[in-house]
Amino acid sequence: MKQIVALILFVVFLISVLGLTVRGISGNPSSGNFNNVEWKDEGPLELSPERGRFALLYSFVENGSFIFDLPIARFATPDLGYKYGKFVSLFAPGVSFIVIPGYLIGKAFGLSQLGVFLNIAFFALLNVFLIRAIAIRLGVSPIAAILAGITFIFATPAFAYAVSLYQHHISTFLLLLSIYMLIHWKGLLATAGVWFLFAISISVDYPNFFFMIPVLIYAGWRLASVTLEDNKTVFRLRILGVFTFLTMILPLAFFFWFNTVSYGNPFQLSGTVDAVKVIDDAGNPILPDKTKQQNPSERSATEFFKTRHQINGMYILLLSPDRGIIVYTPVILFGLAGLFFLYKKHPVAPLLIGVVGMNFLLYSMWGDPYGGWAFGSRYLIPSYAILSIGLAYFLHMYRKNIVLLILFFLVFLYSVSINTLGAITSSRNPPKVEAVALSQLSGKDEKYTFERNWQYLMVNKSKSYIWQTYARYYLNTQQYYVILVSLIGIPSILLILILATQKEKRTT
Amino acid sequence: MIRFDKKLFALELVIPNKNMFFKFFERHITIILLFVLTAISTYAYVYYLQNGLGLSYNDARSHLDIGRRVVEGLKPGLAQLGSVWLPLPHLLMVPTIWNDFMWHSGLAGALQSMISFVATALLIALFLKRLGVNLLGQLVGVFVFVANINILYLQSTAMTELLLIMTMTAGVYELVMWHKTNNILNLIKSSFWIMLSTLNRYDGWFLFLVAMGLVFLQTWKKKGYKTAEGVVLLFATLGGLGIMLWLLWNQVIFKDALYFAFGPYSARAQQLQLDEAGVLASKGDILLSLKIYFYALAYNSTLFIFILGTFGAILMWLDKKLSQEVRIATLALWAPFAFNILALFLGFSVLFVQGISGNTWFNVRYGVMMMPSLAIFIGYLVYRIVPLRPVIIGLILFVTFFMFRSADAVTIDDARVGSSQKNVTEVSGWLNKYAKDEKGFILISAASHDAIIFSSGLPMGKFIHEGTGAYWESATTAPDRWARWIVMRTNDNNDSSFKLVSKTSGYKLYNLVAKYPFADIYELKEEYIKNLQTDAVYKNQR
Repeated sequence: MKQIVALILFVVFLISVLGLTVRGISGNPSSGNFNNVEWKDEGPLELSPERGRFALLYSFVENGSFIFDLPIARFATPDLGYKYGKFVSLFAPGVSFIVIPGYLIGKAFGLSQLGVFLNIAFFALLNVFLIRAIAIRLGVSPIAAILAGITFIFATPAFAYAVSLYQHHISTFLLLLSIYMLIHWKGLLATAGVWFLFAISISVDYPNFFFMIPVLIYAGWRLASVTLEDNKTVFRLRILGVFTFLTMILPLAFFFWFNTVSYGNPFQLSGTVDAVKVIDDAGNPILPDKTKQQNPSERSATEFFKTRHQINGMYILLLSPDRGIIVYTPVILFGLAGLFFLYKKHPVAPLLIGVVGMNFLLYSMWGDPYGGWAFGSRYLIPSYAILSIGLAYFLHMYRKNIVLLILFFLVFLYSVSINTLGAITSSRNPPKVEAVALSQLSGKDEKYTFERNWQYLMVNKSKSYIWQTYARYYLNTQQYYVILVSLIGIPSILLILILATQKEKRTT
Repeated sequence: MIRFDKKLFALELVIPNKNMFFKFFERHITIILLFVLTAISTYAYVYYLQNGLGLSYNDARSHLDIGRRVVEGLKPGLAQLGSVWLPLPHLLMVPTIWNDFMWHSGLAGALQSMISFVATALLIALFLKRLGVNLLGQLVGVFVFVANINILYLQSTAMTELLLIMTMTAGVYELVMWHKTNNILNLIKSSFWIMLSTLNRYDGWFLFLVAMGLVFLQTWKKKGYKTAEGVVLLFATLGGLGIMLWLLWNQVIFKDALYFAFGPYSARAQQLQLDEAGVLASKGDILLSLKIYFYALAYNSTLFIFILGTFGAILMWLDKKLSQEVRIATLALWAPFAFNILALFLGFSVLFVQGISGNTWFNVRYGVMMMPSLAIFIGYLVYRIVPLRPVIIGLILFVTFFMFRSADAVTIDDARVGSSQKNVTEVSGWLNKYAKDEKGFILISAASHDAIIFSSGLPMGKFIHEGTGAYWESATTAPDRWARWIVMRTNDNNDSSFKLVSKTSGYKLYNLVAKYPFADIYELKEEYIKNLQTDAVYKNQR
């Protein structure tokens, strides 16, 4: 009973904080108004990844088409696709379809955009519970597991992307659910489930294909394996296992259908069609100069990744002031230590390390490791989730070490402060290179770190729906920010105290 | 035997002796690797030959020309080995370079790189095996070295890197074995390989010093100073023979034992020019030297492989499973790293990395020198970190996939778009078109335009260059009597043809017939051709 109450309190806590921070404004954006500044730059759909996905969702639900009409196309720029004289999505379709329930429910209340964003927040919430569940399966105490979940959702850039429309939390959910299924169930049903989630994940975000590889190998080992038994080498193939692949048919059929309707080719990926940055007044796309660029039809998605980018990529993802982990979420590095301790003790640890390695290496090779205009390293959100599991293990291991717990709390509080700032303000932070160029153009100092969010807060601006709709009449943004950080920090320190004083119940 | 497991509903292939495969592989691993590596090496060579990249480095063409001049030209002979580069690669070309196909396809030079490639990979496996690493670790080590696009490219060209890598790896391998077994034969073998490396590139000279230090340290610790002195002397006698011979060669041919170091065509002379031009930024700046070499290393090996290799090196250094002597000896694997940074800092070497040294590449291939060391460290890491083996191997495969998928070879950029490349096809094409079937010699500075000589496709005997003795002296004094064509950079005194010819009265008897960004072509006016010497008359030069 005590545990159920605690769990309910935890859910209430998570919903409260996410509810207070989710970005949005009242109303149902439509063709007639969503090109206005209050929805775009100054509003919740501030960046093209959000607009591009919302545009596809809107086009499908309201127009029943994957082909964008002119207002939708204008709304989606500068990340708009163009194929056979028609405007199409430049993003994988999964997210736009998954958030349809949120859109429809929200629309019924005159809050369709908010409904969509809450749909993403719901996945973020599920991720916290999956982290907790996986950590507990690894032998971690529930309190440490909860702290790890809180760290993931509020002390990493995952926070900013839990309250806006991005693919990361859905991708992370599919990844974590796959891992959970594999460590919870040993049978072929779990393997079938993993194939199913894998197939969905591709249409959510193409790079998921790579992050899921370690999971696929882990799952595949259940179907075909090599073992040594009584001086014999046994190669085993579970015949029923072959049928588990059938679960991929439906999600892949959807994916190919979408590609065929949008791009005329089931195997054409959205990122490889012509990108339209601007549409002129007459409604014509301004296309890139083909004499200078490779023909998109000859382009392959994997060509965007180069090993030579690794130096810059690793620097940006790890150390840089504009996106680096060390600046935005140093607390997650405790998770790295946790995984290090875990790797000898649990057979699932190599899988977790493999996913983090895949995620980190893939984006270190990506030409734009910044993730465009963004808050923190958004590409590493799946890694933050996995590292949070490591963090749970770390906290569990050192739960009696007061010095380390104090150090953890201080770094945690710093990370929460930074990421709450990002969540309630904006993700429109340019990379340093662009900020420098902007400064030269505008003649004013353009910030590119979380200082930009601080500036935003200082001029009494926030994109939080609750603040904009209700709280602004009682509190300024700084007060709102302090309340939020306290709301996260106080329960967290209480949890740390409980963890430190808890009697030994479990051992790893 | 195939059986059906009802409980698991599974098909099972059962092989009675669990070690059958492993034993077979372990027993025949060298032969298997030899075949596989030879196939890979041949495929890579043909691939780069067919796509026209095989001879992109101007230096590759110069190396081939030097080898060819030993056997063909107006003054063939060993003296053609010159002093610009150490002689071993050119000497090794001699048995095959006489053949036109071997010369113009670059195979005469690439062959030694290809053999070195295969040998180095086998050495990596052997090295790891002797350190007690299992078959999987050995294979991963070999894979890291072989599945590197820059290594594959360089093994397909007539460059000197792979030969150097092989001789240095062999030298270090024998040195480590000597530390392990104390068998004097290993020490002699080590000194032999290191001696060969000293005849290839100056990196070998540094390794020679490092190895001497390690030999001294090991013997001094075990047997005292006097024995150490004797053992070092033994090692240095063979190991230093190449250096002695090179000094002697320079003394005999150029009348100055240090001509290679201070002569007009030495690397130092090149560095001085760069220094005067203010582009030798790494000289005297240790941090910049470190940064530049780190970038070159990471671009050649990929940063991930470098990081993984560093972890492997740390593990190897701390691993009590290896004796302290062996661990100390493996420090020699870092010699290329130390040498390159030191050479940059002291201004003995120049390396441009795009983005750090302006918008160009130069000598970035030096970063490839650490590849065998990284491969050994990673092989060891895989062996020792058992639970993470699948992760490490998986991530190596992942990065390697993208390296090949995006054809990310910095050495090809270095050759094609960097300072190592100059577009000589216009000049060489002109010569091939207009001079091929006409009588008469072409006066050209090989020091400046060896790539033109190679690319023209004309026989070496058609050219009068610095190494042709009396022909050169005569042609640069009275060009109109000896040279029907002159190829030179007008108004550039670094081009010795222009420097000498422009001072003669005969210079005015030529028409400028073609002007290109890289060099100009002059042809003797029609009315003076009748006085021209078109036959090789200085027969006693041969």
